[in-house]
Amino acid sequence: MGPAPAGEQLRGATGEPEVMELALEGTGKEGKKASSRKRTLAQPPAKGLLQPVKLSRAELYKEPTNEELNCLRETEILFHSSLLRLQVEELLKEVRLSEKKKDRIDAFLREVNQRVVRVSSVSETELTDQAWLPAGVRVPLHQVPYAVKGCFRFLPPAQVTVVGSYLLGTCIRPDINVDVALTMPREILQDKDGLNQRYFRKRALYLAHLAHHLAQDPLFGSVCFSYTNGCHLKPSLLLRPRGKDERLVTVRLHPCPPPDFFRPCRLLPTKNNVRSAWYRGQSPAGDGSPEPPTPHYNTWIMQDTVLESHSQLLSTIVGSAQGMKDGRALLKVRLRQRELDKGQGGFTGFIVSRLGVFLVCTRKIHTTMSGYQVLRSVLQFLGEATRWGKARGPGLCQEPALADFHQAFSVVFLDSSGRLNLCADVTASTYHQVQHEARLSMMLLDSRADDGFQLLLMTPKPMIRAFDHVLHLRPLSRLQAACHRLKLWPELQDNGGDYVSAALGPLTTILEQGLGTRLNLLAHSRPPVPEVSWAGSRVPRDTKDIPFLQLDSGTLTLGLLLRPEGLTSVLELGPEADQPEAAKFRQFWGSRSELRRFQDGAIREAVVWEAASMSQKRLIPHQVVTHLLALHADIPETCVHYVGGPLDALIQGLKETSSTGEEALAVAVRCYDDLSRLLWGLEGLPLTVSAVQGAHPVLRYTEVFPPTPVHPASSFYEPLRERSSLLPRLDKPCPAYVEPMTVVCHLEGSGQWPQDAEAVQRVRAAFQLRLAELLTQQHGLQCRATATHTDVLKDGFVFRIRVAYQREPQILKEVQSPEGMISLRDTPASLCLERDTKQLPLLTSALHGLQQQHPAFSGVARLAKRWVRAQLLGEGFTDESLDLVAAALFLHPEPFTPPSSPQVGFLRFLFLVSTFDWKNNPLIVNLNNELTVEEQVEIRSGFLAARAQLPVMVIVTPQDRKNSVWTQDGPSAQILQQLVVLAAKALPMLEKQLMDPQGPGDIRTVFRPPLDIYDVLIRLSPRHIPRHRQAVDSPAASFCRGLLSQPGPSSLMPVLGYDPPQLYLTQLREAFGDLALFFYDQHGGEVIGVLWKPTSFQPQPFKASSTKGCMVMSRGGELVMVPNVEAILEDFAVLGEGLVQTVEARSERWTV
Amino acid sequence: MVARRRKRAARHPEDCIPSPLGYAAIPIKFSEKQQASHYLYVRAHDARQGTKSTWPQKRTLFVLNVPPYCTEESLSRLLSSCGLVQSVELQEKPDLAESPKESRSKFFHPKPVPGFQVAYVVFQKPSGVSAALALKGPLLVSTESHPVKSGIHKWISDYADSVPDPEALRVEVDTFMEAYDQKIAEEEAKAKEEEGVPDEEGWVKVTRRGRRPVLPRTEAASLRVLERERRKRTRKELLNFYAWQHRESKMEHLAQLRKKFEEDKQRIELLRAQRKFRPY
Repeated sequence: MGPAPAGEQLRGATGEPEVMELALEGTGKEGKKASSRKRTLAQPPAKGLLQPVKLSRAELYKEPTNEELNCLRETEILFHSSLLRLQVEELLKEVRLSEKKKDRIDAFLREVNQRVVRVSSVSETELTDQAWLPAGVRVPLHQVPYAVKGCFRFLPPAQVTVVGSYLLGTCIRPDINVDVALTMPREILQDKDGLNQRYFRKRALYLAHLAHHLAQDPLFGSVCFSYTNGCHLKPSLLLRPRGKDERLVTVRLHPCPPPDFFRPCRLLPTKNNVRSAWYRGQSPAGDGSPEPPTPHYNTWIMQDTVLESHSQLLSTIVGSAQGMKDGRALLKVRLRQRELDKGQGGFTGFIVSRLGVFLVCTRKIHTTMSGYQVLRSVLQFLGEATRWGKARGPGLCQEPALADFHQAFSVVFLDSSGRLNLCADVTASTYHQVQHEARLSMMLLDSRADDGFQLLLMTPKPMIRAFDHVLHLRPLSRLQAACHRLKLWPELQDNGGDYVSAALGPLTTILEQGLGTRLNLLAHSRPPVPEVSWAGSRVPRDTKDIPFLQLDSGTLTLGLLLRPEGLTSVLELGPEADQPEAAKFRQFWGSRSELRRFQDGAIREAVVWEAASMSQKRLIPHQVVTHLLALHADIPETCVHYVGGPLDALIQGLKETSSTGEEALAVAVRCYDDLSRLLWGLEGLPLTVSAVQGAHPVLRYTEVFPPTPVHPASSFYEPLRERSSLLPRLDKPCPAYVEPMTVVCHLEGSGQWPQDAEAVQRVRAAFQLRLAELLTQQHGLQCRATATHTDVLKDGFVFRIRVAYQREPQILKEVQSPEGMISLRDTPASLCLERDTKQLPLLTSALHGLQQQHPAFSGVARLAKRWVRAQLLGEGFTDESLDLVAAALFLHPEPFTPPSSPQVGFLRFLFLVSTFDWKNNPLIVNLNNELTVEEQVEIRSGFLAARAQLPVMVIVTPQDRKNSVWTQDGPSAQILQQLVVLAAKALPMLEKQLMDPQGPGDIRTVFRPPLDIYDVLIRLSPRHIPRHRQAVDSPAASFCRGLLSQPGPSSLMPVLGYDPPQLYLTQLREAFGDLALFFYDQHGGEVIGVLWKPTSFQPQPFKASSTKGCMVMSRGGELVMVPNVEAILEDFAVLGEGLVQTVEARSERWTV
Repeated sequence: MVARRRKRAARHPEDCIPSPLGYAAIPIKFSEKQQASHYLYVRAHDARQGTKSTWPQKRTLFVLNVPPYCTEESLSRLLSSCGLVQSVELQEKPDLAESPKESRSKFFHPKPVPGFQVAYVVFQKPSGVSAALALKGPLLVSTESHPVKSGIHKWISDYADSVPDPEALRVEVDTFMEAYDQKIAEEEAKAKEEEGVPDEEGWVKVTRRGRRPVLPRTEAASLRVLERERRKRTRKELLNFYAWQHRESKMEHLAQLRKKFEEDKQRIELLRAQRKFRPY
């Protein structure tokens, strides 16, 4: 018989070896032993683990050099802390372009330049005659309407200039883009080219011809089209080098008109440059109605004319200032992490650079500032709503023009000429999002406590994780109909037919108005900018490849950040019926608006949504959105895919489908309140009750499945009349599982208590008995007293009252030294008692308070626990530790806001678990905000010094600053590692499912545990699993558990805490805990996973003290001990007789 | 698994079960139905010279590796074929001394869940031990005539046993407290008697019950006193008063900064190793 290479199994279970390194070495319990501690000190520091710094005295107190003092002073003045400074420097090093690469890029650019100016010319043809283009080459433009007057000929560019961030040295990795402006020769253009898209047609033809020539050149690895900022009228050509440099750089060619070709006054936002007659194909309207202005169209032309001058301006003002460069790089990284800079109408790096220039001009930023200070100033400016409310214009613009700009655009940021709006494509909601993010970031930077750098710059914020609810609109062609319904023809004309951009603004406005107080922030995804590869087969003229048309198959995603206070109401209160606004209200809400009479006598218009439970109330935005979209934009419900509550199903009770259990928990808590009132008023106890505290997950709203009142059917049980209790019967399935809710009851102080641990126990038992007697006598409650607790049956709920004596832990701690000095030493018993009677009630009440502040806490904590348990890891973690991790999501939500829906909270739980560095950081959960910044710093440094003695997972609360009591007994490093790996796998899977506009598919996938990692599977019979129906895949049929729906005549104490799988597991762990690990999902799991411990299969020499389940055999002439696997496998069946169906040994996993 | 069984069968004929030096191996199974068996490793109990053992020499059998479903009664029944069994004691670990025989209250010390245990079986006669050593198995823990409960049966009966009898509990508490009160009263009476009476060397013991209360002899109290002293001393001290003090505190500040800087550098090193500086 050979040892199982379980080490490999574990590794196989935990993924790549690199991840495995993260498992803690030298920490945990072994570290407590003096000998091993000595060893770890002697060894070089364990990899990846921070060690307390040891500097010699001479080093610490040597005379400082001038340089050092300067450096320290600079850090103090320019940065937040030295850590931040180092971090920022590291980050910049990472994203900055190295000199070597720069040289390679420069060489490539020279090549490009040479090739571009050598492209052959083409003789003049009509614009509509595109036959001269070689076969397979199409114009990258949606040419509707096709007929345009004018001529085109190709001539090599008059000038090729590099513009933008590469020139300024602020482009950041990973994707480096070099913008190159190609000035088209004046001969190509004609007068009035600005009119009716003629300029854009020529521009596109110019690129098409260029692309055709460059595509044949072996220098380029790929030649493809993209669209500048997603604007579908402005294609640009992307060139990438061939070979190993392909990923290095992308050169973007932007054709632009010769300087001064367009007269700026013709391109002001009030002017029209797309004639309705041409665009709609109608004869000019005779009634003389003015043509609608085309501000966006004008801006797009204007943008081309200023490419060079802007580049020059930027380099003259901020060219050499290192701090400005760093600051802009940091801002770009930040925007990137928040997905704000990508897509159509994004808040691009260019806008940020211009903002920096503006702030320098207005003296908000000085060029000597550090990168961090630049970052702060820009964020500060962005966050301040009043000053940068809707508009911003540098001093040069004339006042009347500014009003025009506000009329035409939702966000105005004028350049120094006062004619170009740099934020023309940015929608109001994007702008609000930017502002919201800036404010959050400022708060984070000001809080100073946490690792701001990591959260601000390194944490990605994808939409699904940042917003409470997300909805997808699909297919996008529905928006075309919406445009017509909303009468947006001028906008369509302005946008050249891009109905997504045209409809986006009005739609978001409607939704924002409709969601009102429920909404904190509404954001929309920006349509991604496609890259059209230059292959003859895929012609860009296909509607697929034009940005907005390409999205026919695509989706528009909206994210809602909800306001929890607004979510509680089901009513939308309108104006009084006789007010003039009433008509407007009726029109806005359509048929949902009703006249209602209120208690104060007012008769008002109002909208009432159907929602009974908390979870339904959370989903009212769904009703609002579908109603408004159908009413105003003609988008039917089938096209709106709302992702708000698909995960709710996992924490829904057995029968109900409408509630996620918050109400049931509240009922239990109310019953507990009643009971505590009874206890307070109890007469006849020798000492009166001074405090009653809850100590059970139900009483802090975090029990996964809330208890229901039990009404046992007496025929199902064996009655034990003399003790008024019910017993389970052999011939029936296992009865329903009833877990008593623990309540700690403190008595008033008294000097009469004995001062001996054994005697205190007896006196407490006497109190328990008396309590049971009195409750029965005075209130007629069914009670059962034991030595340590009294079980009380009240309204179908069972409470377990534990009488506590404040001084008992102290008595247990007392140790008398030989000299007679009494000192206090922690013992296992005292710690356990302290935890149960002191810390647990405190924690319970703190989390109860948290639930009152954040109504989504319950859902998040329960989903998180459900998931951990479903992965069969539930027993490695205490209930409280998982609750605290969930609480951390609410108390320290940075860089997000506290979650308002279980879904987003759960995603962040997975993110936190999978990314938190448990080895080097304590998770600080600042309940009630009791810890100050200084205290947190102290905790962190204390943590480093004591790391080896602390458990693997350390959670610090204000009540528990040093010991991390809730994680003392687990998880072990392996279990935690397994959880981290599973979370890292589940998160992208779940996010992908939720972001899939076709519908999430089977949402329970991530809740199903991987079973192939276990060595032995013990399958259990559902007949004896009392919580069978709670399983992730709830069985269609299960056994009757002996409950009545109505209170029955029997008032005997139901069967308490009888759960055969748990009893079985206890036996297994006691008997085989040295040899194997056992994994089980307590919520209706049908299988126990067994993993052999790798060490136990090593042959050991015989020792009388460790023969547990082993057998002796001779191997190579020596007698060694190995586990008696065959007998053990049969023991599994013997110990669980009746419960175990089969024991499935996967012997292929261990070598025989 | 099958291959392994065959191999072992070939190597060891049934009558020769390998056992460590000085021990005999007896196969034991739960019932007829099981295929494989566990092995009890038994030995005559003999304490080494100089160690104290309360188990009777020669008559005691030391049994290792007793499976969890095997109770004291069933072990006594299984070994009764070798001779009359006087007592059986199951323990978690080998322990030379007999455990204190005082009956532990079942209310306050519930029986732990058993795992693999060791047993000390005391026979009436020494011949029982030698007979047991020669015993060939396999022993069956649960037979038709003497069934042993396991699984659901056991849990249900355990649950029934765990439902407490409040009267019995009350009686137990009362008797214990009576004894306790009596003990305390006696101690107090004794203390009162000795109060102020000097011992043979002339020392008088000071107790809590003296006329003047004294400081209790606890660690917390002594720490409190020390702390008070320390605070008194610091109040008198002058901070940053002399030039050297000023200089030193500045230096201290600098040293703190340096230390912090080193720590930060280490942290950065670690983060760099984990590639935490790639924002993509």
